[in-house]
Amino acid sequence: MAEISTIARPYAVAVFSFANESKSLSTWSDALHLLSEVVKNEDIKSIIEDSKVLDSDRENLILNVCKDKLNENGINFVKILVENKRLLILPEIRVFFEKLKAQAEGSIEAELIMAEQPSKKTVDDLVKSLEKKFNKKIEAKVVIDTNIIGGTKIIVGDSVIDASVRAQLDNLAFTLKA
Amino acid sequence: MQLSTSEISELIKSRIKNFSATSEARTQGTVVSVTDGIVRVHGLSNVMSGEMIEFPGNTFGLALNLERDSVGAVVLGDYEHITEGDICKCTGKILEVPVGPELLGRVVDALGVPIDGKGPVKTKLTDKIEKVAPGVIDRQSVSEPVQTGLKSVDAMVPIGRGQRELIIGDRQTGKTAVAVDAIINQKGQNMKCVYVAIGQKASTIMNVVKKLEEYGAMEYTTVVSASASDSAALQFLAPYAGCTMGEYYRDRGEDALIVYDDLTKQAIAYRQISLLLRRPPGREAYPGDVFYIHSRLLERAARVNAKYVEKFTKGKVKGKTGSLTALPVIETAAGDVSAFVPTNVISITDGQIFLESDLFNAGIRPAINAGISVSRVGGAAQTKVIKKLGGGVRLALAQYRELAAFAQFASDLDEATRKQLDRGRMFTELMKQAQYAPLSVSNMAVTLLAANSGHFDNVPTDKVLKFESGLHGFMSSKYKTVMDGIEKTLVLTEDSEKEVVKAIEDFKATNTY
Repeated sequence: MAEISTIARPYAVAVFSFANESKSLSTWSDALHLLSEVVKNEDIKSIIEDSKVLDSDRENLILNVCKDKLNENGINFVKILVENKRLLILPEIRVFFEKLKAQAEGSIEAELIMAEQPSKKTVDDLVKSLEKKFNKKIEAKVVIDTNIIGGTKIIVGDSVIDASVRAQLDNLAFTLKA
Repeated sequence: MQLSTSEISELIKSRIKNFSATSEARTQGTVVSVTDGIVRVHGLSNVMSGEMIEFPGNTFGLALNLERDSVGAVVLGDYEHITEGDICKCTGKILEVPVGPELLGRVVDALGVPIDGKGPVKTKLTDKIEKVAPGVIDRQSVSEPVQTGLKSVDAMVPIGRGQRELIIGDRQTGKTAVAVDAIINQKGQNMKCVYVAIGQKASTIMNVVKKLEEYGAMEYTTVVSASASDSAALQFLAPYAGCTMGEYYRDRGEDALIVYDDLTKQAIAYRQISLLLRRPPGREAYPGDVFYIHSRLLERAARVNAKYVEKFTKGKVKGKTGSLTALPVIETAAGDVSAFVPTNVISITDGQIFLESDLFNAGIRPAINAGISVSRVGGAAQTKVIKKLGGGVRLALAQYRELAAFAQFASDLDEATRKQLDRGRMFTELMKQAQYAPLSVSNMAVTLLAANSGHFDNVPTDKVLKFESGLHGFMSSKYKTVMDGIEKTLVLTEDSEKEVVKAIEDFKATNTY
């Protein structure tokens, strides 16, 4: 069986390129957000998974829930997903779409993990140097985690810059044990 | 609570001194699934193929499958504590094992960690387990012999230093015995040995180690063990780890012998890993690259020239060639050499020693089938004296086999045919040899000379071996100088030949066999 991300990718790429051409990235972003939240709902999920429910009923259900929040293209997209029985991968499609959107807009999310609330200047400085390093606009999100004791841990995508006291202590422990 | 060996104040002090507290930049991923030692990881965008991945709990894995959305890695060791959602990190390193003479006399696992309870191995160096074999420019042709001490091997299928000679046969045909005898005979021959046990019972490995210790062979031998209870990943890696340990000597202008016992099990371990990684199965369910896992391993067994050694040691060792001789073992099922893995390894190696159950059960041990056992390059490396005297053995045995089949239908045979049959019977008997009793070159030369000159002809077949051992005893007590001369020069001059023939006649006259 192929992985979910492999199945979700072509849908996300198609939606993205359509949205990009029609200059409606944010509309589609909202629509995908709404749809993925809808299919995550336990009740709706159980109906989608029920093999006794007809495809047309599934389609009507989703379209009724979302009603006038979807435009014509959005409705078409839901129809395609129903036809291919891929409604449940909507959350994955959304994740991919957001990635592609961020890439197109030249911005990436960065998680700044700190032990205590940093000053605005610190965050700004960090963001500036991260933007220089990754050559992209950084959307920083500060997370407070006392477990790291001190210093900073920055997570951008799957690369991690770990300058926390916790990591250094772990390293010291590893060196002493080795 | 016990104090571990690493908790010595001085050690801790030096480690604190050398510890640099810098921030680290790394790529990380999230474990998506763990199944039968195979971990799928999401993320790790910069991981290299074959790179080590660090999992929680000081566990490492090897990245083998780099796919579009995930990385397939095989865990080295226990994986029960790894769970979905765990964070793992890239290390930026390819797997390495310790190398050096400190490993001699030790039993280690596939990662070079000692498992013999003799404390830590204090090696100074480590080296990558996957390396590219020396190229054509760095090589030299095989010209020096490896003495296995087995009459049948040294006379009929000689092995040279740097050669790959396959030992193939069904279960219980004495494959390991041939390899272990070859290791035992390397005492004082300036040869370091590595015995890689793959997928064997721990008790069998234990017995081999015990025998090697008993015959003083552990002094120059390292045993790499990946027993049947070790993970498939370790069984797959063990030959490469052992090869790296052997290459240490090759690259420094020394000679080394490595035994892979056996590569069938390695292929099976690799098949398991590949199927779990969902690589497409091919013939006999092996993956497409099962030929390559063996060819790249055996290609590293080579003889390198002095220039290569000089370059490698940066001028410290000059004018010395290095070699790594490989004796891979393959187990066949019901004598089927046309199965996938046996044909692969036969085509890779420079010849094979074929062992047969029928011969083994008939009491001909080592159970070597002289007809289909060959050595493609060993002839150039064979000791002069054995080459001169052993040439007739193969021919006599071949003619005997042909005649014996024919003679079954004939009622009365002419004198010449009967003589040839008797001679063949005598040679078959003479090629028998007990386990752990390797012969020196001089003793082998005396035996072959006696056989060639017809001194065995009127000895009853059941007394041939008794006659031989008696002759060896007689020679070493009465003609020690001649024997030492042959042993030293490895040639048989006309004078010494006459002397040996005279000695044989003397012995025969005593009639003490």
